[in-house]
Amino acid sequence: MAERTDAEQSADISGKGAAEIDFAEIVRRYQSAVFSIALHFLADRSAAEELAQDVFLQLHANLSTLKSEDHMKFWLRKVTAHRCIDYKRRRKPTQVSLDDAPEPAAPTKSADPFLARRLRQYVASLPEKPRLVVILRYQEDMRAEEIAAVLAMPLATVKSHLQRSLAMLREKVTRAMGEVKL
Amino acid sequence: MTETNMNTNMKKETSGLDEALRSALQRQEVPDGFADQVMARVAAQKSVPQLVRRASWLSLFTQPIFTQPIIRWAALAAFATVMIFGVHLYEMRRERAEGEAAKQRLMLALRVAGSKLQLAKAKVNEMNANENQNRQVKE
Repeated sequence: MAERTDAEQSADISGKGAAEIDFAEIVRRYQSAVFSIALHFLADRSAAEELAQDVFLQLHANLSTLKSEDHMKFWLRKVTAHRCIDYKRRRKPTQVSLDDAPEPAAPTKSADPFLARRLRQYVASLPEKPRLVVILRYQEDMRAEEIAAVLAMPLATVKSHLQRSLAMLREKVTRAMGEVKL
Repeated sequence: MTETNMNTNMKKETSGLDEALRSALQRQEVPDGFADQVMARVAAQKSVPQLVRRASWLSLFTQPIFTQPIIRWAALAAFATVMIFGVHLYEMRRERAEGEAAKQRLMLALRVAGSKLQLAKAKVNEMNANENQNRQVKE
């Protein structure tokens, strides 16, 4: 059977109401996004899995309050982001050098796997809020306005986090790998 | 250099990093059986009795019995009465304790004053005795 498009799935939601959609289908649809935000943020596979499961349990409890596919997507990103920050704050910060830091994600089909690995490590070393901004921008391809709404943050703050983080990442990559063509 | 040119240069500079970040932060595959585990946890949570999942004692007030206005007002009135009575009792006890402390202080002061008077009386008696003795010697 051919895979159903996002548009078809959206039509389903708006037609029936979010609560009536098969929950397992919803989990399968969003599991990768939720898990990846947690994984890129926490750089810990098992913690990311646990956190993603908790997010879906919370989603199940709040399913009837969600009005549309977009609302659900927004809710999932927001709850995942907040849970990531809560998770980090509950645990004592430990100083780990970048080389000792665990590889946050499985190898991806990237043009330069070494650069990708380094970048994931550098992103994982950013402060909490800027890290989330970068993850939502580049993993979820969200606009600054959307990120500001999800993180309940002024737009100017999101833009400044993004700008500073990019400058920091560029500097770190250049320092570590010499003149890389970026 | 105009502002437009500067912006264009900045965009060119960041576009390479943008692409590298997009590639590095691609969505990852979830571990096998992730959805099944979530569904199992959902099922397990459903089977937990409501009582165990009660968040706090405050949720008692959302129980059906408290949703009836008359019961709610009666509960509030009872609560207010208990609070007023409690405060009154506390005030009474505090006043009594303060009175006891004042009484103790007064008793101590009287005792001190009494002993001082005894001392003064002894001194006067001694002085009188000396004076009488001197007078007898002179005579």
